[in-house]
Amino acid sequence: MFGMEFYVDPSRCIGCQACLKACEECDTHRGISMINFDFVDRKESIASAAYVCWHCENPTCAQVCPADAIKKYEDGIVGSSLKPRCIGCSNCVLACPFGIPKLVPEYEQMMKCDMCYDRTSVGKRPMCATVCPSQALTYVAPETIAATRREKPVNTFWFGNQKIVTKVYMMAPADAGAIAIDVADYTWEGEHEVVPQGF
Amino acid sequence: MNTNPPQNRGLTAIDGAMALIVLLLIVQIWLLSATLESYLAGHREAAVPGAIISGILFGACLGLYLFVDRIDSEVRKG
Amino acid sequence: MKWFRKASSSSVPLWQDEFPVFTADERYVNRRQFTKFLTLTSFAMLAGNLWILVRSLFHRSPSYPRQHVAAADELAVGGVKVFAYPTAQDPCILVRTGSDSYVAYSQKCTHLSCAVYYAKEQNRLECPCHQGFFSVADGSVLQGPPQRALPRVTLERKGGQLLAVRMEGEGA
Repeated sequence: MFGMEFYVDPSRCIGCQACLKACEECDTHRGISMINFDFVDRKESIASAAYVCWHCENPTCAQVCPADAIKKYEDGIVGSSLKPRCIGCSNCVLACPFGIPKLVPEYEQMMKCDMCYDRTSVGKRPMCATVCPSQALTYVAPETIAATRREKPVNTFWFGNQKIVTKVYMMAPADAGAIAIDVADYTWEGEHEVVPQGF
Repeated sequence: MNTNPPQNRGLTAIDGAMALIVLLLIVQIWLLSATLESYLAGHREAAVPGAIISGILFGACLGLYLFVDRIDSEVRKG
Repeated sequence: MKWFRKASSSSVPLWQDEFPVFTADERYVNRRQFTKFLTLTSFAMLAGNLWILVRSLFHRSPSYPRQHVAAADELAVGGVKVFAYPTAQDPCILVRTGSDSYVAYSQKCTHLSCAVYYAKEQNRLECPCHQGFFSVADGSVLQGPPQRALPRVTLERKGGQLLAVRMEGEGA
């Protein structure tokens, strides 16, 4: 939008959680951050990764919503759930391959990143991208990324045989055409389980 | 599944056609009520021209709808 | 019932057609569907006009019975009597306008069939529902929403009795 795209580079994340705090400040959902923040393997390292919604081209969350509460707008942004419609069934929470939507129990409402639509629709950058000190979350023109980064942006993911194309780009090694994710890699393995933090 | 937003060209033509259809409909509604009133008053001679003109108006609406249909499928293909 | 579908391809299930995820589809495709229904409304109007045409072609002048209404001296001048003519479902109103003149009309207002009454001071037939006024002389509309005059009952005087012989000014 306005010639800029969102790029996520988890290897740059320093775990400062500035993105969480910045996201929380938005008046429409003050106090609740929409950033999905993970410690990759807390027992082994302090590596962290922050994610926003990937705004898929054919959003699974929207497809499975029984209340027609999730819409994808003409500029490609997938909105958070519509307040009058969401029934808090968690279908989208279970369906999203990236695990982005979160059900907020006190409101019985799903809430997720909508790329600060009130800002991006008028050409401003999302809050998280403006505060990230390492620019792990960045919102710039593709030319800037090509000029300043060694990694290449990728927006195609394979979950088994399912191809997901997203609007948000993941920075990946130059030779990676798409990112294939083996779901079995992320199942619980006892004492080596992944512990999600944040939100 | 249509994942691409539709083009915006051709929208003006469709808007114009729809506005015209609404106008024709208003005329047709008035014509029906006027024909009915005159028939109930005993002037049965108004029924024939009323039906003919109503038919013409409907034909025009149908033509405009087919036009909208054609433009719409063209815009979606291109 | 394929004609009301938005998606021309039937591979899209109906629920996906009706509740698209993309706002662009929500807004835009509805226009074509709306136009379809406008054309249908136009056809409904045409059907109405054709029905009127058929009714008028098959119209037969009805025959009316002769019915005793009232005695000539039953009413005072300016007095009113309600009777049913030609059938029990058709209320009519008889008004003695002068010592020798009587008029009778259908009591059903030609607007929405409320019962009209005789307003003596204004010397006219009034409908209380929407202030439609009719002339006592010939039943024509003086003011208000009615478009048609009140159907008139032709009266015949036989000796001291008043008879209703025919209903005038009716097409149906």
